[in-house]
Amino acid sequence: MSAAGSLEALGRALRALGAVWIAVTLLYIVSGLVSPSMFQLGQVVNILQVAAFLGVVALGQVIVILTGGIDLSQAGTITLTNIVATSVMMGQPENIAAALLICLALAVAVGLLNGILVVVIGITPLVTTLGMNSILFGAALVYTGGAPRGEAAEAFEVIGTGRFFGIPAPTLIWLALAAALFVLTRRTVFGRWLYATGANPVAARLMGVPVERMTVAAFVLSGVMAAIGGLLLTAYVGSPSLGIGNQFLLTSVAAVVVGGAALTGGLGGILPTVGGAIFITELNSFTNIVQVTTGTQFVLQGAIIILSVIAYRRLSGTGR
Amino acid sequence: MRNCAKSSVRDEEATNSEEAPATAPPVLSVRAVDKRFGGVHALKSVSLDILPGEIHALVGENGAGKSTLMRVLTGAHPPDSGSVLIDGAEIRLASPQDAFARGIAMVWQDTRLAMTLDVAWNISLCHEPGGRVLVDRAAMLETAQRALARIGSGADPLALPSELSRAQMQQVEIARALSRSTRVLILDEPTSALTPAETEGLFQVLAELRAAGTAIVFISHRIPEVQAIADRVTVMKDGVITGTLSAQEATEARIVSMMVGREMGLDFPPRATAPGDVILQVSGLRTAHARDIAFEVRAGEIVGFGGIEGSGQQQTARALFGLGIRGGEVRLNGHPVPLSTPAQAIAAGMIYVPADRQREGLFPIHSIRENAALPNVGGWTRRGLIDAGREAREVAAQMQGLQVKAPGPETLVGALSGGNQQKVVFARWFIGASDVYILDEPTQGVDVETKMELYGLIRRLAEGGAAVVVVSSDLPELIGLTDRILVFSAGRIAADLRSAGATEEGVMRHAVGAAKGDGDGVRDRHASGPDGTAQGRAAVRRRPLLQRYLPGLLLLALVVLIAFAASLAAPYFLTPRNFASMGGQIAPLAIAALGQMSTILLGGIDLSVGPTISLVTAIASYLLSPESGVPITFGVLACLCAGIAVGALNAALTTVLRIPDLVATLATFSVVQGIALIVRPAPGGRVSGEFADAVTMRLGMVPVVFVVAVVLYVVAETLLLRGRLGARFYATGGNVASARAAGIATDRLRAGAYLFSGLMAAVAGLIIAARIGSGDPQAGTTFTLSTVTAVVVGGTLVFGGVGTAVGTMLGAILIILMQNVLNQLYVSAYWQYVWTGALTLVAVGFHGLRTPERRAAMRAAAGRLVARQRAPIRRPGPPHDEDTPQAKQECHR
Repeated sequence: MSAAGSLEALGRALRALGAVWIAVTLLYIVSGLVSPSMFQLGQVVNILQVAAFLGVVALGQVIVILTGGIDLSQAGTITLTNIVATSVMMGQPENIAAALLICLALAVAVGLLNGILVVVIGITPLVTTLGMNSILFGAALVYTGGAPRGEAAEAFEVIGTGRFFGIPAPTLIWLALAAALFVLTRRTVFGRWLYATGANPVAARLMGVPVERMTVAAFVLSGVMAAIGGLLLTAYVGSPSLGIGNQFLLTSVAAVVVGGAALTGGLGGILPTVGGAIFITELNSFTNIVQVTTGTQFVLQGAIIILSVIAYRRLSGTGR
Repeated sequence: MRNCAKSSVRDEEATNSEEAPATAPPVLSVRAVDKRFGGVHALKSVSLDILPGEIHALVGENGAGKSTLMRVLTGAHPPDSGSVLIDGAEIRLASPQDAFARGIAMVWQDTRLAMTLDVAWNISLCHEPGGRVLVDRAAMLETAQRALARIGSGADPLALPSELSRAQMQQVEIARALSRSTRVLILDEPTSALTPAETEGLFQVLAELRAAGTAIVFISHRIPEVQAIADRVTVMKDGVITGTLSAQEATEARIVSMMVGREMGLDFPPRATAPGDVILQVSGLRTAHARDIAFEVRAGEIVGFGGIEGSGQQQTARALFGLGIRGGEVRLNGHPVPLSTPAQAIAAGMIYVPADRQREGLFPIHSIRENAALPNVGGWTRRGLIDAGREAREVAAQMQGLQVKAPGPETLVGALSGGNQQKVVFARWFIGASDVYILDEPTQGVDVETKMELYGLIRRLAEGGAAVVVVSSDLPELIGLTDRILVFSAGRIAADLRSAGATEEGVMRHAVGAAKGDGDGVRDRHASGPDGTAQGRAAVRRRPLLQRYLPGLLLLALVVLIAFAASLAAPYFLTPRNFASMGGQIAPLAIAALGQMSTILLGGIDLSVGPTISLVTAIASYLLSPESGVPITFGVLACLCAGIAVGALNAALTTVLRIPDLVATLATFSVVQGIALIVRPAPGGRVSGEFADAVTMRLGMVPVVFVVAVVLYVVAETLLLRGRLGARFYATGGNVASARAAGIATDRLRAGAYLFSGLMAAVAGLIIAARIGSGDPQAGTTFTLSTVTAVVVGGTLVFGGVGTAVGTMLGAILIILMQNVLNQLYVSAYWQYVWTGALTLVAVGFHGLRTPERRAAMRAAAGRLVARQRAPIRRPGPPHDEDTPQAKQECHR
């Protein structure tokens, strides 16, 4: 086997395991060398806490990207969830259930609408979710009149700030969701269909896969994950904020791409996406350590997206 | 920009050789040409002469090497050895465009027309008459008319190719070939989609061209047609020319005997001894290409579907799997089964192995295990989870039984050879049991050794008690492998032969026999089907300009309506002040949207428009501040350069690194936004009054920037409508492959579009900096979406290829108008986000669903989405049951 051939084989193996974990480890060591406090357990816990919000959202993004789509409306869903949850709760514990139900129902509706627009009307996922994101953000603005009021109930804030056995609650929820979605994508018929839909929708249909339903289901899952991410963030922050979701528009795609998923569909996984979310969070915390501005973070993030696409393409030796 | 390959080498010396004696020296020859593709020896020392003024037919079975020879002649493939000669001089053909420039034109079976350009433009694409920038449309129409009249075509030069019948599209391609002094015209299966009358018309044209001295190469399966038109007939078989016959010598029997009788040294498994009960019973089956199909297949029997390609055999096979069935009854074991989707067919116990493995059969980026397991996993679940152990065992057993050569089950299917890929497809359906197997060209593109293995496997399927249908265009395979052969001809079953006594000549005779007759069935579909609607639609569009501007006119009507309503509701609306203010707001949006449109027209998108605008305001707030001391011209230039730099980054990412537009511009979005934040972390700075005044200057009440925007749009619309550049945009956005075939440098065009988009965003950014008087890293945030909105509302398709600048301008006007009106009505500005998003979705949906095809696709998709349909779960077939193929395999080993 030629050198290039063995490199390809290595690349495939790395992609399956999640080459991103190597990057996660390297970046951690570099950060630690620059700022030794990073090696303390508390810092690790802290990163996992912050990564949880992005992590949950990215879990939804990767499901859509696996089917060959993209969901840019997650940012809007997160903002709207934050606004609606706080305004329904108004700090009262008896309103928690209602707030959760309304938020999740909203997310399901958004996902359904995205999916139907893509599958039935034939609008590209990019344009559909870009438009939807604007609608959702606008809805949050209109609903609050630009001045959001309300706050999370204290009992609810436990899931954002509480710890169990020293591990932050959002992190536990994130890892539990990741485990569930890992099983769903890798061990169930639904998961196989998801991958098949993204890899070759024509062949998938000839094999009896309900391609349209898989696409709609993926958008619904993405919406629900965004809503859960938004709820966790709300529990963590405790108050409404109109700008809360904006950063996720890019970071959730970035986490998935860094995790090695191909935007053409059918390639990628849950565990590498977990790694991708940790990497992006580490990167932000690293930029905080070396005290660069938010602007530099954005630049780095864009560069990381491009580098990941190129690196994974090189590693696997396939055009995508 | 002239993007076309120079190709007017022979334009001057037109072919006017009135007398073309039979002894004239060959115009085009190949000498001892060899060509290999991997292990396949496609051409073996082929030599051929094409004489001027002759119609030279090239016949042969599928895979005989005709297409490869044509690709060598047209420069698509360089020969491995041997030479191509024009007028006796050896040449190297670099590309199809090169061959075209030298007078060799090809009319492909599948059209290479640019579907988004009208007929006249297609005929002269890359050779348009006119100046450097604009074309001479009148001359172009005249050229087209002349070229079409010369071949007696009634195609409307103003029509789009999609409005023509298949025959007319072909005529346009011939006209295109003849509009340049073509000396050799090669036609690939030109009659395969024509009615008898259309075929007759084509033959007349060919005869006239022959009389004018053009050499014509005519590739066909249809022997009667070849006999009717050709002066000489060359027969190919297995990559070798078996002989060239004169018209007198070319009897059907002789041609057939030269085509067939391939020695393959193949050993077929023994035939069925006693078939069992009838399993599959088909009656009255109809598809688009076939009708009155009735047959039965018994347990243990292999029935072959033969005939000339496109005679209905493949459509029949697919119809049995729920693909394109138009009526008829299918019974399985005596019970009628509904077959409207593949899922239903699988659930009923039917398996279809498609001919096009890559497109319809495989998931190349997934492993052998995942590929083989996919349709079977439903039967391997325990409490909802797939039993991984069972999956591994089943797949491993099949890989071993079928001798799939691969490092392991996790090897990606895309890395396997064609034969092993086909084995994976077989493995998929060997797991579990089905009653009926429909195999479409099961050994296509497979090496001989694997073929033998596959024959054994197919026979074992039948021995396991299944009914097997094999569609094959390979005659020895058809006869050797099957028990019975149904020969299809012109969309019907022409003969039902026992394979044991069948000969290749016998099958061929039945296959070509009916084609000689009235030719109804397959070939009448244009008389009733698409042709009718095509003419119906052609009648609607006598006015192509109206068609082009219809979305714009609708939008204009909407704008006027809203303005009228606003003037009633809000008194301030109609004041000149308000209009001037709107003009000032429209300008930056319209200018940025023009750049966005150039990328969307090519099927891309530029998400970095918004951040670029922000960045430019940030830069301007330093360089153009009163304190900077930098000359204004320099500051403006620097801002424009920043925009161009962003465009260059996008261009490099998409065309050099080949990163998809979406990811590339999303990354640029982040990078540019970041730079904007670095330059100016928070709103601030000041833009000099001098500069601001210059930008916000008004001529009377009209803002200068609005005038600038209008001028830009007039130029853009002119270029799109009548410019060389516009045609290149439309052709490339419609179909990159056919644009490249016409000689358009599509990558340069795409790079140019992103540079332009960056520049336009910078101009918009300067205007906004002047308006707000400072720098703001968020100033452009809304522009990414609103430029896309303006473009798509204006009727530009998100897939590219269709759109007008006028529409985009009106889209921008509509957006600002709505903002203004809602403002005047004291509606919260926050609604802007909601209706911009909604407007985008409604517009894309509305424009996307304008064609009946899209509406039909929408209904079908909606139907599949809500259909009450259970997912197919294949019968798992206990691994050691005696009836399953696995059991047979175990015994066999």
